[in-house]
Amino acid sequence: MIRVDEKVAVAVNGTGEPIGFKWRNANFLVANKPMRWFARREWWKEASRAQRGIGTDIIEVEMWRLLASDLHQKSCQQYELIHTVNGDDWRLILVYP
Amino acid sequence: MTFTHLHVASAFSGHYGVTRPELLAEAAAARAERALAITDRNGLYGSIKHIGACLKLGLNPIVGVSLNILNNQDEPLARCVILAHGGDGGIGWSALCRLVSKANTVKRKEAGIRLEHLAKYVNRDGLTVATVLLGPDSNFGRAALTENRTTAAGILIQWLKALPGKGALAVEIATHLTEPGTAYSLTQARRMLQLADNIGVPTILTNAVRYLSPDDALTADVLDAARHLEPLGSFEPQPNAQGWLKPANLMHKLAEEITEDRTRAKKLLDTTELLAQKCELNPERDCGWGKPKTPEKALLGIDGNPFEVLWQKAHAAIDWRYPHAKEKKLLDVKHRLSKELITINQLGFATYFLTVADVAQMIRDMRIRIAARGSGAGSLTNYLLGISGVDPIEHDLLFERFLSTERSSLPDIDIDVESARRHDIYRAIFKRYGSERVTLLSMQSTYRGRGAMRDSGLALGLDEEEIDDIAKNMWRFSARKFRDAAESKPELAKLNAALESDRKMNLLVDITERLDRLPRHISMHPCGVILGDGNLLDLTPVETSGMGLPMSQYDKDDMDPMGMLKLDVLGVRMQSAMAYAVREIEKTKDIVLELDDIPKDDPQTFELIRTTNTLGIFQIESPGQRELTGKHQPTEFNDLTIQISLFRPGPMKGNMIAPYLDGRHGFAKPEYLHPDLKPILQETFGVVIFHEHVLRIFDKMTGCGLAKADEFRRSLEDPRVAQSVERFFKTQANTRGYGRDTIEKVWTILASFSSFGFCKAHGAAFALPTYQSAWLKTHYPTEFLAGLLTHDPGMYPRRLLVAEARRLGVKLLPIDVNKSSDEFLVQPIPGTHDFGVRMSLTDVKGISDSEVQRIIGEQPYLDIADFYLRAKPSRRTLSNLALVGALDELAKHSGHNRGDIMQRVKELNLLKNRTKDDPDQFAFDFDLKEQLPRGEDLTKEEKLQAELDILKMDVTEHQIEQFRPMLDAMGVINSSELLSVRNKSEVLIAGVRVATQTPPMRSGKRVVFISLDDGHGTADATFFDEAQARSSHILFNTRLLLIAGKTRRTGINGVSIMAENAWDLRTLWSEWSKRPELSA
Repeated sequence: MIRVDEKVAVAVNGTGEPIGFKWRNANFLVANKPMRWFARREWWKEASRAQRGIGTDIIEVEMWRLLASDLHQKSCQQYELIHTVNGDDWRLILVYP
Repeated sequence: MTFTHLHVASAFSGHYGVTRPELLAEAAAARAERALAITDRNGLYGSIKHIGACLKLGLNPIVGVSLNILNNQDEPLARCVILAHGGDGGIGWSALCRLVSKANTVKRKEAGIRLEHLAKYVNRDGLTVATVLLGPDSNFGRAALTENRTTAAGILIQWLKALPGKGALAVEIATHLTEPGTAYSLTQARRMLQLADNIGVPTILTNAVRYLSPDDALTADVLDAARHLEPLGSFEPQPNAQGWLKPANLMHKLAEEITEDRTRAKKLLDTTELLAQKCELNPERDCGWGKPKTPEKALLGIDGNPFEVLWQKAHAAIDWRYPHAKEKKLLDVKHRLSKELITINQLGFATYFLTVADVAQMIRDMRIRIAARGSGAGSLTNYLLGISGVDPIEHDLLFERFLSTERSSLPDIDIDVESARRHDIYRAIFKRYGSERVTLLSMQSTYRGRGAMRDSGLALGLDEEEIDDIAKNMWRFSARKFRDAAESKPELAKLNAALESDRKMNLLVDITERLDRLPRHISMHPCGVILGDGNLLDLTPVETSGMGLPMSQYDKDDMDPMGMLKLDVLGVRMQSAMAYAVREIEKTKDIVLELDDIPKDDPQTFELIRTTNTLGIFQIESPGQRELTGKHQPTEFNDLTIQISLFRPGPMKGNMIAPYLDGRHGFAKPEYLHPDLKPILQETFGVVIFHEHVLRIFDKMTGCGLAKADEFRRSLEDPRVAQSVERFFKTQANTRGYGRDTIEKVWTILASFSSFGFCKAHGAAFALPTYQSAWLKTHYPTEFLAGLLTHDPGMYPRRLLVAEARRLGVKLLPIDVNKSSDEFLVQPIPGTHDFGVRMSLTDVKGISDSEVQRIIGEQPYLDIADFYLRAKPSRRTLSNLALVGALDELAKHSGHNRGDIMQRVKELNLLKNRTKDDPDQFAFDFDLKEQLPRGEDLTKEEKLQAELDILKMDVTEHQIEQFRPMLDAMGVINSSELLSVRNKSEVLIAGVRVATQTPPMRSGKRVVFISLDDGHGTADATFFDEAQARSSHILFNTRLLLIAGKTRRTGINGVSIMAENAWDLRTLWSEWSKRPELSA
């Protein structure tokens, strides 16, 4: 398992599921139905404000776990992406060997 | 598209839910849902508010509870939601109430119920009356994640066997879209669904809701920390922010994500709606909503029509209350009584009045003092039934202010009793009506400023001292506006500076604002008792209260909607003090007093009040009331009613005091606006003070009737309705021939009055104990002071009562281990025929209850050794007792002084064991005739200092006396002499600070009032800006003060001092003691 944390460009389908992403100049295609979940953030360690109406970005973050391969690979690898809903910002977090 | 949420914790799930029930219901109604459930944790705390909100919004209410379910070894199996079925005439509701009571009355760390007990409540005579939801927080839910299919299926089958009835069990599918493989993940939901389908258990969908919107999840984090009593990060937090009241479209989407099958998703949603319909309550038929509930007639000793009984009872009491009344007066009484009884009958409240009368009679039979308070004193029926002791006809009080056909809610009849006997009364009520008809009322306290900030600080793991520091400076602002306050209040400047850079301080302010006003914890209401019929416990769940008796999970706001009869039995220390005085009078003087029967026009009593020496008198002893007494100079009972009513925030803000006093003393001609109003306002010289005045004016000028008039009065406070009231008033008054000018003037007064007035009945109810305590102080000062010292009803420290006793010439007898008890007893003064007050053991610093009881139990003692051996005081208590002279009498016969006693005590305290069994040691240390070692006697000053240190009271003489030579040399005058010096004279006074007040002033400037006691009474000094600046260093802290200033007449018997400067008396004394002429 490799920790990465790099910004990636992601293409999604009509329901918002990732279908492919571009990482380090390589294009990856998603090969399964990706799993989505919400992980929490420890806002008391990170946030500078927590007023009413601040929204959920400081509390939770959308996560995607998926299988993908770039065009040169024979087999798929598992990846985890973080999606910041409000800013529509995608980051690649984990690559499973 | 529709979706009914069946699992929703409201803010009334202590430290778990975030949103108030009303807001949840509003959200569901705005989405055009048909129903909504509330399922608070461990109780039905928010259920009545939920039902009320649903009724208002046109939603069908559903109620359940979230409870820990235990196996037979009391180990937790699951936390389940249990939903009551509705539309079954209340069987489901009653089962829910009773199972919640069961879960809360067995002593456990947290509420819980065994599965086998739960099963009995769920199935009533073969009928399923509730549904248990088996969800992710259960052994089944956990097994679905971690065990193989067979094991998980086995657990589900066990549940099905335990709850076999049709519809008794459903599997609750819920996902918060957590990480796959964890609780509340899609994986878990899918597996639970499959297992349930395989075994054939119905499945329903919920979102296990804790808050209304995702943003509230952060508040839930903070509440979790408060519940765990640990900072965030040191326990497993909620997984994310998905537990909100999601709208139907999102819930439908979730169903599809879980099932990955449209048909199955639809079935899941349909089953959910079917269960919802099964659980929709009919509040009237299921919960007894709004139906008045009173004890059964037989219990009140009635057969036949309660109204006829009430009629007879009230009429039969006329002779008792009006023994010497003339024919005309009797006619008035009967006429008014008929009017009241007709209203009571129309409202169907006869049984209610009989119930309250029955309780009042029971309390009197227990020989406990009782008085009514509030608007109930305006009712002749209450007076005749013995519920109230104030004659409403004599005092001109109105029934309509208390009860009218314009309002249908049960009136509040509040009764005051002796505080020391309150719990006895509760137990007697339980005994008399049976524990199935009575419960105590609960109270939900809410987060306010400091509490909110402390729990927020805890959640963030901030330093406790730092938090305390800020908390101390949180004064008079709503925590909801904490950030604004930090910016504007000087005392929070430090915090505000921290907000520039300190991240945690910013979070602290933000989450404190979030917590404000949320329910915090439940406790026993200080005075409420619910009285119902034999079915009461089918309608309200109960839990064990602090005092051991069962307490309803409903609060006072739930009483009216549920039609429950709430009795306010409030403990009042003054009633205890007066009852104590009456008992001591009977004991020592053999006089049996009926305090309620004493004539209310005793000239000596009013004479005493007019001196303004009102210390210890109910309601009029504060510095402000004392000043008002000096100006007002009451001469009759009604004056007391007026004075008590005037000194309230409303009349004070409404500026009613000055015009009233001007009228009374003839400084201004009373202005009645119209001759018709003169009879109404004569008693207050044209000033509108009482609600009763407003009612009469409305009635007089519009002919609307007093009942309607009270409705108008109430609606004046609502600006939206006030307009239509204004139109009505002006048109009606106009048609009745009042001039335009008069109408405008009267309306201006009525409109501006709305928030300022006071209920005269309430004032009169208070005036009764005021008069009674003043009467006791006038005629039996020794016994009255003994009562005050024992029950401590007032606002001042005990030492001021001691000073007052000395001023009144009441002899104070020192603590004596042979004669003192845990009360301040009235005892003969040795060698005289007079009586004095024996100081109590309870005021000795550090003495324990068991020590006190032991000392009393072993009395009398022969000598110090005897006391030491049998009373077994701790070392510190023994030497404290010796220091304040409590052992003096034991050594007196052998001619020893306190120094010798102290020496002996020192020896005794050096002994290792206190064994009685060893006669040898006994013979060695304690000879029969005690001979004490010699020690140096204490000086007068040392004795006084010991009293102040140990008793916090100066018993032998006033502590100011130690400075007497200096005070005399400086020409300091006594507070009692202030009245005889000319106005605006320069004076010096000295004394002990007894009160400091900084009331808010209209000008916005701070004024400081300091009251000093010098043993001759109390002197009040006023410090304005300059004087404050001159004496700033001692203004708030120094106890012994010398104040220089000018006298200012405030009334016939009123003088205060405009302070110019103040000094610390001790500092002056040490300088004075060093003065050159002493050494010369």
